[in-house]
Amino acid sequence: MLAPLLIFVVAIAIYPLLFSIYISFFKYRLTDPNQVRTFVGLTNYLDAIHDQDIRKALINTLIFVIGTVSLEIVVGLGMALLLTDESRRIHITRAFLLIPMAIPPLVVGLIWKSLYNADFGVIPYYLKALGVDVGRGPLGELSTAMPAVILIDIWQWSPLLMVIFLAGLKSLPQEPYEAARVDGASRLQSFLHITLPLLQPIFLIALLLRTMQSFKVFDIIYATTAGGPGTKTTVLNFHIFTVGMTFFNMGYAASLANILLIIVAIISVIYVIVLERQQL
Amino acid sequence: MKTPTWEKVLKEILILLVIFFFMMPIFWLVTTAFKFGRDAFAIPPKWIFFDYTLRNFEQVLTETKTGRFMMNSIIITTGTTLLSLALGVPAGYAIARSKTKFINLSSYFFLLLLMIPPIAMLIPFYLIMRDLHLLGSYLAVILLDTAFDAAFVVWMMRSYFQGVPQEMEEAALVDGASHWQSFFQVALPLSIPGIIAAALYCIIFSWNDFLFALMLTSPSTKTIPLGILASFSASEISWGHMAVTSLFAIVPAVIISLFLNRYFVQGLTMGATKG
Repeated sequence: MLAPLLIFVVAIAIYPLLFSIYISFFKYRLTDPNQVRTFVGLTNYLDAIHDQDIRKALINTLIFVIGTVSLEIVVGLGMALLLTDESRRIHITRAFLLIPMAIPPLVVGLIWKSLYNADFGVIPYYLKALGVDVGRGPLGELSTAMPAVILIDIWQWSPLLMVIFLAGLKSLPQEPYEAARVDGASRLQSFLHITLPLLQPIFLIALLLRTMQSFKVFDIIYATTAGGPGTKTTVLNFHIFTVGMTFFNMGYAASLANILLIIVAIISVIYVIVLERQQL
Repeated sequence: MKTPTWEKVLKEILILLVIFFFMMPIFWLVTTAFKFGRDAFAIPPKWIFFDYTLRNFEQVLTETKTGRFMMNSIIITTGTTLLSLALGVPAGYAIARSKTKFINLSSYFFLLLLMIPPIAMLIPFYLIMRDLHLLGSYLAVILLDTAFDAAFVVWMMRSYFQGVPQEMEEAALVDGASHWQSFFQVALPLSIPGIIAAALYCIIFSWNDFLFALMLTSPSTKTIPLGILASFSASEISWGHMAVTSLFAIVPAVIISLFLNRYFVQGLTMGATKG
């Protein structure tokens, strides 16, 4: 019963990945009329190490990942704590709050792009009313482009963390809280000394899951800034896309994609080990 | 211990802030779809009081290919979901019922597969599809979407089947049923909620996909997210058209979040946390 899927996966996933390793050893441009593939060994990988653009993209990616994941965990946990009640009103609220993460990320990007628009966007309008100089709009200024993109990601993905934390909060045992109450602990104390430590495994899962996903951000960047202004929001994934699918420098793009794959694979393996431990 | 009044009030205010932050962009999108151009660009912004119109809907449905793009999205989403379930559900069942440690561990292989950066698969896959002359076909997108979706289905259905009692299946096997028979006639009917949750995930993933469709479809097989981009490249940017097309694109998201909420949440938490 496993066989059909295994055959499919080998053909559609494993074979392309091996092919990707193969072409990463070649100089191969689709724009070349003769479609020559020249074997260059590890040159693509060595080039990547010295490529300034890659270094910038990697730094941008780290800023994006750290910014989104840490803030989403805080916002997600906050939302879960606010919305734990089982009243009908809270149920309906929670259902509505799930909508952002089910919307196509491209559409999310486009909605926010119009909200951020310097001339007629809602957000710059109210910022101007408060006396803030918005310049070319949040997405157009070097200093605010990255935070503006991070805010979009927070909008889309905090609800996922809310769901994960709600499940975690529901699974907490009641006894420690009763004991703490008998001992006269305040609710803040029991939150800090009971809830947070007990939620530690959930934090770890949330952190790893979102880190993996955040490394792969693409649609939001494509829709809003296209990596700009300058290269301020060019994350690794977007840069690889540009090298491969805009300049059709396939050999180099494949080597970059493989480097990204290795980074994500390391985080993924840690995630899997954590999940496996949890089960025992 | 009684909650002080100020704390209750603070909580209500925070809840309202959360609702405002997460609903405001959607509210803006929905209202823009019903606005004339002059109101969409109005300064100060018009939130509620403007002249409502259906003109944007009329224009999008008659003058653009949005209908075609919707159809393409439906074809690709249906194909992906059915193929992913057909491949993934039996495999999840086989792993859940297997007593071999090696096969049990193979579910982690599928979890890792799920985490591969899409661009790393897209570059070689694009070249392969080009050589097979399949670029621009529905099949190319469906196959690549399915690689990711089927991996999720296996991962989720394995944990689901582990929670389904085995006694009835064993009884069926003793009575001479084959593994496939006990799967179809006993295990499957008990697992409908799990399958719905897995299907919803597949639907959202393939409906929302942009990157694969961007590279693998042709003008005649474009999906709805690409159609929205098209409303930007037109000579004059029409926010009204963009909003209407976006509304079509978020219909599944809204239906699933609001009306199939229970299954959606189950799929999310099982996919992320349960081992």
